[in-house]
Amino acid sequence: MIDLTPEASTRLERYLERMRAALRGSRSVEPGEVEQNVREHVEIALAGIPAPVGAERLGEVLEQLGPPERWLVDDDRPWWRRAVQRISAGPEDWRLAYVAFGVFALGMLTLPLGIGVFILACAFLISRAAVDLLAERGEPLGARRWLVLPAIWLVLVLVSMGALISMIAPAAAIGIGDGNLYLVTGTSHAEPGTLERVRVEVGFLAMSAGIWWVILAAIFAAIMRPFRTLFLPVTERLGRKHAMILALVGAILASLGAVLLFGVR
Amino acid sequence: MTDTFYINWTTQLRKGLLELAILNSLGSGPLYGYELVRRLGDVDSLVITEGTVYPILSRLKNEKYIESYIEESTSGPPRKYYRLTARGREELRRMNEHWEQLHGALVSLRKEKKR
Repeated sequence: MIDLTPEASTRLERYLERMRAALRGSRSVEPGEVEQNVREHVEIALAGIPAPVGAERLGEVLEQLGPPERWLVDDDRPWWRRAVQRISAGPEDWRLAYVAFGVFALGMLTLPLGIGVFILACAFLISRAAVDLLAERGEPLGARRWLVLPAIWLVLVLVSMGALISMIAPAAAIGIGDGNLYLVTGTSHAEPGTLERVRVEVGFLAMSAGIWWVILAAIFAAIMRPFRTLFLPVTERLGRKHAMILALVGAILASLGAVLLFGVR
Repeated sequence: MTDTFYINWTTQLRKGLLELAILNSLGSGPLYGYELVRRLGDVDSLVITEGTVYPILSRLKNEKYIESYIEESTSGPPRKYYRLTARGREELRRMNEHWEQLHGALVSLRKEKKR
């Protein structure tokens, strides 16, 4: 073992630590074997120099060995290093798509922690920026759709579901929970679980949902353009006919609810 | 051709050829790491950073193209020698054949251009 000054020894250990970090996760390279070779290389290169060998002489040998971060070819790097490399060195339009997907994945993973909602909102904005960038350049989304669309789809589904059911729960709470329904239909709250109660409650919920969806269809028709723009390219084909369909479904549901509530005794 | 393009191209070419150069060096007999690095360093601009050779040795060993053994040295620490395996010799023969073909094709392309 070669005798090094404390400074040189620290420098060598730091270099080997960098090397271990650079080779960690490699698919076909044994970091332990490489380290053994590097130690042997340093010892042979410094053999014959009066001990203890200083940091300067060691530095010359390490400089010749070069930065360990550049030793591996792409195929040997772990997948996550290649992904980071691709993001940092790839073309701008692909980089944005990779970042969008990365933030989306992070948002999904941290969703149980609460902060995930905020991260998913960021993923949505980055995805939209990627879509707009490509549109400005006149390039198709192509394979990048798999990276940028998940965040846009997820936010669209959440917003749509939220809008569809948002008013039904308060309506149910007012109508069924507070006994107001009794005043309208004369159904007693003292008869839980009876077929009569089920008829009244289902009828009320269906009517509430139906009326809300008709109102929602009108709101949707009024804000169609900004809504479509917000969720492009997913909402590219969204039109007034979809608002009409929602209104129609709402009207049918409200009618069925009304029949259940008032028509069937 | 810009400087960046040329530098990238030579880097890629060097990386691709280094494995062939290592196997060919070991083809003439066992060598320890430092000795191999020095020998490759004698070939102009083949090895820019000496450390690059060691992960390649590890990979070639994992692929069972080479094997290692330790031998005592009279002038310093024990040395880890590398030598070709039978599988490595066969792979080296194929690689050299391919290289000859490629080199021949490139030379003939240049000749055609000169005509």
